[in-house]
Amino acid sequence: MEPADDPKLRELLREWKVEEAPQRLRARIPALRQPWWREVFTGSVRVPGPVALLAAAAIVLMAVALLRAPSAKPPATRPSPGGLAGFQPVQVARVRIMESGQ
Amino acid sequence: MQDADFREAYRAHKDVVYRFARRMTGSQASAEDIAQEAFLALWRDRAAFHPERGSLRSFLLGVTRNLALQRLRGMWPQEELEDDCSVTAPFDIEGIQRAEIVARAVAALPPLQREALILAEYEGLSLEEIARATQAELAAVKSRLHRARENLRRMLAPLLATKGSVYGTSR
Repeated sequence: MEPADDPKLRELLREWKVEEAPQRLRARIPALRQPWWREVFTGSVRVPGPVALLAAAAIVLMAVALLRAPSAKPPATRPSPGGLAGFQPVQVARVRIMESGQ
Repeated sequence: MQDADFREAYRAHKDVVYRFARRMTGSQASAEDIAQEAFLALWRDRAAFHPERGSLRSFLLGVTRNLALQRLRGMWPQEELEDDCSVTAPFDIEGIQRAEIVARAVAALPPLQREALILAEYEGLSLEEIARATQAELAAVKSRLHRARENLRRMLAPLLATKGSVYGTSR
């Protein structure tokens, strides 16, 4: 009778690994579903590594491009016909009081 | 069991339930179906779990085991569940990866030996826990585990020999 604890057999058996429960399993169990607003705060999204790297690189490039862009000059303003362009204040103000009957 | 308890039970045991079903059936799709059914069964019949009789893990593994055996009976109705048969031929190891050979060897075990071996070797359950999960006597579990290891040593003899062992060669 061979020993119950056989390290060589055990080591060999450990070479067969299986994956963990997939994320989609959760969605198949109605009792685990939460309100959408709670999902927003507690949920997670799995993104493949290369896609995540590309997205991160794109964000960095966009940020650099925004920082390096020359600051735009404000557009020249044209005097509007009914505005106060050309207004000159009076030098001396003379007050004249008009009474009724004059 | 409240909603929060159920969510915690799922978080804590989903992987062990899925892995056990996956190794018992050899199929991802079947394992997902079985894991889903096991948790739905727990949710629907929460009163069936009695903490004083054993852990929630043992309970869930017992449910998973019953569902897996039902499915195996559906797939191979003629296959005997009986655990006293031997699988004698060593595997042809050329062209197959070692992990694949191990998976095939475990899959070749009779179901009652397979479940005892998976629970002991891969999930680390004690003999008592296996007996509880499989609703079997302790002596029966010991015997199944012994025969499962014996069968595996014979099937995997070529691989064990390449690792410097002489197990399984004394026929």
